[in-house]
Amino acid sequence: MGLEDKRVHKGVEKGAPFEITVDGKKIIAYQGETVGAALMAAGQRTLRYTDKKKRPRGLYCGIGLCQECRMVINGVANTQACQTLATPGCRVETQKSEKKRGIEN
Amino acid sequence: MKEAELAIIGGGPGGIVAAIEAAKAGVMVTLLDENPRPGGQIYRQFEKGFKVTDPEVLGGDYEKGLDLLNQFSSLGDKIKYMNNATVWGIFDNNTLAFARNGFSSSLSYGKLLVANGAYDRPVPFPGWTLPGVLTAGGAQKLVKTERILPGKKILIAGTGPLQLVLAHQILAAGGKIEAILEAGNLNKNWFQGLRGIWGNWDYLKEGWKYLRSIQKSGVPLLHNHIILEARGDGQVEEAVFAKVDENWRPKPGTERTVKVDTICSGYGLVPSTELTMLAECEHKYDNLLGGYIPVRNENMETTVPGIYAVGDGAGVAGSKVAIEQGRIAGTAIACSLERISKAFADKSIKHARKRLNRYNRLRKVLDQISMPRAGLYELARDDTVICRCEEITLKEIKTAMADSTTQVKDLKRKTRVGMGPCEGRMCGPALIEILRNHSNTSPEGHGYLNPRPPIKPIALGVLAAGQQKLEI
Repeated sequence: MGLEDKRVHKGVEKGAPFEITVDGKKIIAYQGETVGAALMAAGQRTLRYTDKKKRPRGLYCGIGLCQECRMVINGVANTQACQTLATPGCRVETQKSEKKRGIEN
Repeated sequence: MKEAELAIIGGGPGGIVAAIEAAKAGVMVTLLDENPRPGGQIYRQFEKGFKVTDPEVLGGDYEKGLDLLNQFSSLGDKIKYMNNATVWGIFDNNTLAFARNGFSSSLSYGKLLVANGAYDRPVPFPGWTLPGVLTAGGAQKLVKTERILPGKKILIAGTGPLQLVLAHQILAAGGKIEAILEAGNLNKNWFQGLRGIWGNWDYLKEGWKYLRSIQKSGVPLLHNHIILEARGDGQVEEAVFAKVDENWRPKPGTERTVKVDTICSGYGLVPSTELTMLAECEHKYDNLLGGYIPVRNENMETTVPGIYAVGDGAGVAGSKVAIEQGRIAGTAIACSLERISKAFADKSIKHARKRLNRYNRLRKVLDQISMPRAGLYELARDDTVICRCEEITLKEIKTAMADSTTQVKDLKRKTRVGMGPCEGRMCGPALIEILRNHSNTSPEGHGYLNPRPPIKPIALGVLAAGQQKLEI
């Protein structure tokens, strides 16, 4: 899946593109996009694994309620990807287990 | 002296219009909005960095919204707008608590208006926790305000007009939809509902526009069809759906499979009632309006004097209804604070009440089509997760029910359902229906998950950071 495939350019011009790091790999995000949306555009669906059964979870409610999109963003675990704006150079990690809880940096 | 003469929670259409009406009459308003900018979900504005080059793609709601938002900001001397403010508790002595920019603060108020909105009804079915299954509202936010399609091959599955709006927006953005499943039947009920529809021409015009765009695209809109299962290895790869009877129970032998990477689940909305429940307002169950809703008088005042509720959070009925309710509540509050006379208030909300009646007639027709039927909450299998946070399956819930558990709060105690970070928002509506199906009783007899402060996860550090001096 190409990086730009799911972005809609019709009618709305986005701000400047920049790179963010997701699990060590670089992806493109645009100013004004949330981390969750940039990952969606890049085709990464899994944002965390559950604590008990280690099952993958992705964006579900998309409006900050369901807590399924909790990731480790700039070292802070349990950060909602759907509510956090991407910023140049921000570091995002798939949240793997309880060990990742709490503030790490 | 209270810090806010009128505190309003929620910056969607209902909250904004109530603020405008009260402020115009001279009431000093503080509006706490969880979002960075006013507008709520429906008039959600773009983030900084996005520039609109063709207003046509934004739809009519956006322009209507801009008009209201302009009025709202022109009353800046009377309305204190606080963005990024998450209200997490309501306490005795007319005090509420909210988190904002890393601090927690309290605010005392004279009158309180809750306009907290609604969220997509979560419906558990096998595979609903797979990445790639998202709510119609979540998908709509992605397409409308982030300008990103949720997938490359999309199935829309649910009921009611909101999913037609989503389909229209995805198509207009150049996305590919495999099919739209409507559990009810939009065609069949039109004629019976003619009395309700009469006079609601703008609603109809809008509905017609969406139906036309779907028809022109060639995407099949299948009435009386429901999604049974999402399948895939680590993410959605295919969906199984079937024809249903009038109770939304699948007809054997009608199952079909479709290859998709995304499923948008849109079974209408449920009201966000955590705050009115915390404030101990009386609630009643209303199937047509989305579930438990606060009991209110004709001025939108709840059973707790001085606390008002408007919009979808007090019964799902859409933005037009929220606007009229906001007008009524804002005016009634100004009247109770003796800024305007009773005669003046009555006169100025006479038309709002008339419009409200007209909208409600249409809502009833649409709600009859989309009201969840028994079959909807029978889709989950024993191994289907019902509580997404705590990973509690239907089997664990059944075990608890076999032990004569009839109350939602007892299910919570026995199984940990509703104890995770979503605080029961995702499993709560399903638990009521599962208990109701199990015991064949009315939903009201099973109670609900009592919200506890903080009603949203707030980092301990934020609570510990203590009071930030309010500049009011």
